[in-house]
Amino acid sequence: MPQFEQVSVFASLGFWSVVSFILLLVLLAKFAFPPILAMLEARENKITGDIRGAEDLKAEAEKLKRDFEAQLKTAHEKASTIVQLASEEARKIQEKTLDETQAKCRQMQKETEHEIQTSRNQILSEIRGYVSALTITSAEKILKRVLTEDDKKRLVDESIDEVVKSLEKQA
Amino acid sequence: MSQENPLHHFELEPIVPIEVMGIDLSLNKAIFAMWGGMAIVFILFMLVVKGGLKTIPGKMQSIAEIFMEFIKGMVGEFIGKEGMKYFPFVATLFFFIMCCNLIGLIPGSYTITSQLVVTGTFATIIFIMTLIIGFAKHGAHFLSILVPPGVPKIMIPVMIPIEIISMLARPLSLSVRLFANMTAGHTVLAVLFGLVLSAPGWISWMPFGFTIVINGLEIAIALIQAYIFTTLTCVYIGDVIKLH
Repeated sequence: MPQFEQVSVFASLGFWSVVSFILLLVLLAKFAFPPILAMLEARENKITGDIRGAEDLKAEAEKLKRDFEAQLKTAHEKASTIVQLASEEARKIQEKTLDETQAKCRQMQKETEHEIQTSRNQILSEIRGYVSALTITSAEKILKRVLTEDDKKRLVDESIDEVVKSLEKQA
Repeated sequence: MSQENPLHHFELEPIVPIEVMGIDLSLNKAIFAMWGGMAIVFILFMLVVKGGLKTIPGKMQSIAEIFMEFIKGMVGEFIGKEGMKYFPFVATLFFFIMCCNLIGLIPGSYTITSQLVVTGTFATIIFIMTLIIGFAKHGAHFLSILVPPGVPKIMIPVMIPIEIISMLARPLSLSVRLFANMTAGHTVLAVLFGLVLSAPGWISWMPFGFTIVINGLEIAIALIQAYIFTTLTCVYIGDVIKLH
């Protein structure tokens, strides 16, 4: 094999390959590797930072979500309480209004009854006056005589009573 | 005739004769091919770096970063935390062997790694380097690498020679593996190409087809051998740093 037989090239191959390797090592180590390694590290740091940032944001978002849920729950509870209170208040107002209305109605009924009674009494009194005058006039004409005051009163009262009774019967 | 001897293309003739203190340091085809491969690697790296490294990489930058990440992972895995200071050496070794292996696949070029003296020189340098690292880090305690942990004391006199042989076999296996793979691949290619030229026209397509297939295989072997050589270098450095 030429690789074993050509002894004359051994020194040349060994020397130049080592020198060339060292040269390549120096060139790559100085100009090529550092910027690429720095870029890889920068990207790694960026990705790590981004992931960490995303995790922080996620944690923050979860915390906010929990806070919002808690606030929402509180708001629901408050709303329920407010609705309950409003219902209670409305019920009380309704009851109060009903009571007042009923009381007012009763009062109005009483007043009306009283007015009716007063009017009735007044009417009856007026009727009594008219009837007494009419009766006296009629009786004077029938009897052609003058009645004493006692007779007048007795006759009037009897007549009125009869009229009142007949009116009450009719009512 | 190259068709008659498939090993003919491994022969080297001086192109630029140089002699220093009686030592022949003539430049030949293998050295020019090696420089060509190195120049391509360096220029490609410079194109990536001078083109501006971006956070979102382009195609060239992605390829360079994949190789760098790959070697970084290898260094971290086999050497450990201290490994990054050896990264330039390991990465250069990988790219050097890879470019030397691949440049030889160009017809008319030469694979310098098919020379045992070259692979042997590198393997020896790596072996000596591991010894220096071991002694520098652990002092005399480094010799404990010759006694595997858990070995009974009575076995130590037997184990030490075995471990010494094992240590010495490392550079030998490292150099022969790369040299043999490169030589074998190129010899097979030379044989097949000889068949293409010597076979009758109606059947010559068959060895030619095989040449293409083997050439594709050789590209993979070129990359795999560079990976194996570099990985074993990392393993040897890792061994002397960790001591078992």
